[in-house]
Amino acid sequence: MQSNRMLPNRSRTSVLVFLLPPLLLYGAAVLFPILQSLFLSFFSWNGISDMEFVGVDNYVRMFVADDIFWRAFLNALVYLAICLVLQLGGALVVASLLTSLRRGRELIKTLYLLPAVISTVAIAFLFVRIYSLEPVGLLNQLFHWMGLGSLERPWLSDVNTVLAAVSAPEGWRFTGLYMLIIYAALLAVPKELEEAAVLDGASRWTLFTKIRFPYIRPVWITTTIMATTYGLRGFDIPYLMTNGGPGQSSELLTTYMYKTAFTSTDFGYASTISVFIVVECLVAVGLILFLLKRKADA
Amino acid sequence: MKNMFRAAAAAAVTALALTACGGASSTDPSNVSPTGEIKAREISWLLSRPADGAVINIMKKLADDYAKDHPGFELNLITTPDRPSYIQKLETLAAANKLPELFDTDATPFAQQLAKQGKMVDAEKLLESLDIYDNYRPGALDYQRFDDGSLYMIPFQFELEFIWYNKALLEKAGVAVPTSLDDIPAMCTALRSAGITPIAIDGQDQWPLERYIAYQPFREAGPEFVQKLKKGEAKFSDPAGQKTLNWMAELGKAKCFQDGFSAQGYSDAQNQFTSGQAAMYNIGTWELPSLATDKLDPAVRNDIDFFTLPTTAGSVTAANEFVSPSGIGMAVNATTYDPLVSDFLKFALEKYPAEYAATGALSPTTDVETVVPANATPLYQKALDQADGLGSKQAMPWDTQLDPTTNGRLQQELVLLVQGNITPEQFTETMDKAIAQNAPKFFK
Amino acid sequence: MITQTAPPTPPAAVVPVRPSGKRRRRRPDLFRTLSRVLIMLIVIVQVYPLAWLFLTSLRTEQDFATGDPFALPSSLTWENYARAFETGDLGRNILNSFIVTMGANILIVLLGMMAAYAIQVLGFRLSKLVRGLFLIGIIVPVQIALVPLFIDYAAVNLLDTYLSMIIPLAGFSLPMAIYLFCSFYEYIPKETYEAASLDGAGPYRIFGLITMPLSLNTVVTVVLVNSIFIWNDFIFANTFVLSEDLKTIPLGLQNYIGAMGKVDWTATFAAVCVTITPLLLVFLVLNKAMIQGLESGATKG
Repeated sequence: MQSNRMLPNRSRTSVLVFLLPPLLLYGAAVLFPILQSLFLSFFSWNGISDMEFVGVDNYVRMFVADDIFWRAFLNALVYLAICLVLQLGGALVVASLLTSLRRGRELIKTLYLLPAVISTVAIAFLFVRIYSLEPVGLLNQLFHWMGLGSLERPWLSDVNTVLAAVSAPEGWRFTGLYMLIIYAALLAVPKELEEAAVLDGASRWTLFTKIRFPYIRPVWITTTIMATTYGLRGFDIPYLMTNGGPGQSSELLTTYMYKTAFTSTDFGYASTISVFIVVECLVAVGLILFLLKRKADA
Repeated sequence: MKNMFRAAAAAAVTALALTACGGASSTDPSNVSPTGEIKAREISWLLSRPADGAVINIMKKLADDYAKDHPGFELNLITTPDRPSYIQKLETLAAANKLPELFDTDATPFAQQLAKQGKMVDAEKLLESLDIYDNYRPGALDYQRFDDGSLYMIPFQFELEFIWYNKALLEKAGVAVPTSLDDIPAMCTALRSAGITPIAIDGQDQWPLERYIAYQPFREAGPEFVQKLKKGEAKFSDPAGQKTLNWMAELGKAKCFQDGFSAQGYSDAQNQFTSGQAAMYNIGTWELPSLATDKLDPAVRNDIDFFTLPTTAGSVTAANEFVSPSGIGMAVNATTYDPLVSDFLKFALEKYPAEYAATGALSPTTDVETVVPANATPLYQKALDQADGLGSKQAMPWDTQLDPTTNGRLQQELVLLVQGNITPEQFTETMDKAIAQNAPKFFK
Repeated sequence: MITQTAPPTPPAAVVPVRPSGKRRRRRPDLFRTLSRVLIMLIVIVQVYPLAWLFLTSLRTEQDFATGDPFALPSSLTWENYARAFETGDLGRNILNSFIVTMGANILIVLLGMMAAYAIQVLGFRLSKLVRGLFLIGIIVPVQIALVPLFIDYAAVNLLDTYLSMIIPLAGFSLPMAIYLFCSFYEYIPKETYEAASLDGAGPYRIFGLITMPLSLNTVVTVVLVNSIFIWNDFIFANTFVLSEDLKTIPLGLQNYIGAMGKVDWTATFAAVCVTITPLLLVFLVLNKAMIQGLESGATKG
């Protein structure tokens, strides 16, 4: 990869000087604990008694004998999908709308980021109230006013709606961040390209799909990866709002792993789930790169 | 690169192995009177109690008094009031073998394992050696005991749990205070048809709903049921188990709890009761300051009363036997136990009850009189009086009894059962299987 | 198929053929009106929670307990703030959060720039591999590191220190920073470096005199994005911090939890309002720089 090299003359030492400190921190804080998890996943250990080597027992249990694991895995995928739609879809819509605005862009951009600074404890509490049925919360009140009484329900207690209900706040929280990134990319689309297309009689939709979107595709990939990995890491809001319930309806892999470790004190098995989450994330990112890159080449 | 990887893996193994080996301690947990000189130093107490609550304030004050005679002494109180976060902290500390001199825990299977490994000082011997063992209410100590009767935690509270109710709302619906647990579903139906929420419950914290599943078996089969159940010696398919499951399902069908209770928090549930929207509310004497003083909304103040856990026909436990917890207990770390810790505990535990009773709370000991606060309603004294007539058995909360994995599953399935998402049969099958799977790991 | 989340065709999206050159401003444009309404709606959804939080922190306890939580408060009170300051040590919590956030940010920015410089500018044989290695960190959930890190910290006596929070927070944020710096450095023209090299500048001087100053906007972006996460971090702080003196804001908020999980919500919200103010101020001041940083990254990325 000689093309990577921008400086013609640099010594081996200088590479090491710049590379070692970050690697050291990263190794100590991230890589080493991952290795330890991998190691622990082959043991049965409750934290206080002696560790017992169990081979791949934990993995067998995870794939074959644990119904909650699979439930949590599917939930995590749905959760991810909802977060992505809200964050990326929402971000794209708002960013596009924003480019058509002439005044007040700065203000709106700032306002849009606000939810990101509020602590999750407060957000979880607020949304529990919004979804509540008895006493009646904001959402049900709105449905009532709109004459959609049949939609009123305890959103967080209904096994059919709870997963969507806990995903929405997480999605909503960071929409602003992704919107900013995408908005910036949209601004950078060369005006000449757009104007030429408009002269050719392109509709807004064609303009978007043929000119704007292809242009921002690299940024889109970055944002998608960011949103996906944060989505797969999602933890606090479901944990605080429903603690995975009712039943296992909003249990995610991360909350399940956390409970296995710190409620059941089954550190070995929790590490097995951790290893799975790492692999899952790697696969997800690989898939995104593969799909989006291939499209770009096509 | 490969070598580096191998080295890292080897280091990981060593680090973990070291801590795992460091687990065993050589201190004798039954030696409660260590000899030697009292050397003042800083000691820590890892606890899970309200930061501004009576226990912490009193212990802080007592520690300051003790420090006057023992310069250099300091009691470092590390509190994590949120229980799940606390448990996570306690477990990580135990895993790293870094437990402080004093730490809070319930009589859980995890704590029992710590005790088995000799990490906790025998509290029965400790209290006896301080000559204060007999001061404690037997019920307060029993609550802290493990199944084998051994005692490793010291209580700092004593609470009674009642079902509080709103007289006016019951009257409005034309129902009376239930005489049997089995009356409650019908009562809820009547309240619902009068447009009243029957019972306000904090579903988010799980433990309140778990209380309900413990009631029927306690009446039907006594406190032994859950002790057997958790080891797999009794099953949910047994008559007592089936009775409670059917009862819970009925409570759900009768819409006893507010809609969407599973996501509702503590304060929201209590507010529903204190604002006169809900007819009943099951809570302990720690809420006396908000339920039996002039802090209570005047609109409902004269309508509020309480009844104790109803019995059932053929009940094996008596009406004066119900849930009377002595709160999370304090364990003394055996590895760091020395003349200083011993001397401080002697000093503090002797003075604590009087100070605690002065705050209007029930002391875990019987040698002091609780001071009823000036702004109390007559209900306050009535509630305190219940402590004197208690029977010898008490209903243990299941969340401290079951192994943690089973407990977590039970809490989840219970919500589904009450909401009508699963049948008692499905519940029985899932939970009996879960107990069979998990219990052996914790109750070897 | 993530690409399908693109917006549906707007109803009025047909042929707004603009005459080239000047725009006609007066023409009523349904699309524009619609988008304005939509934007206003979304802004309300985004701002409402913060407003609600603030209003609730001014409610009396009684009003909060019995009144409609979404209506305007019947009377306003500062008492919750008094209680918040009385019960907790908010000043210290804020200071601690500030130290941790600053410490982590310094590490993230400095080390992030260094790594990106090594990977992107200096280049070396295994740079792709190292990049991939860092990518793992963007991906893995932080929870998996808790138990191993706790054991490691106990072994080297790092528990209950600022560093015990700063190291994992910085470590887990480093990959994203490296990624952002890399994509920025990719577009610093080669000629800039070549010219400097011809003048006899070595890699260290070039880093200090060219790369670092050029990265300012990206630095602001990285700092702000990370600050949001670090300021509100609960999980590392709860695991590694024991003493009262080191508690950060999310831990401090626990002081308002009473017996058996009963929370003094109005005081909590007052405390939340106090504790997000510093972050909010920084945010408002640096907002422009951050957006520029994101823009310059995006334009070239």
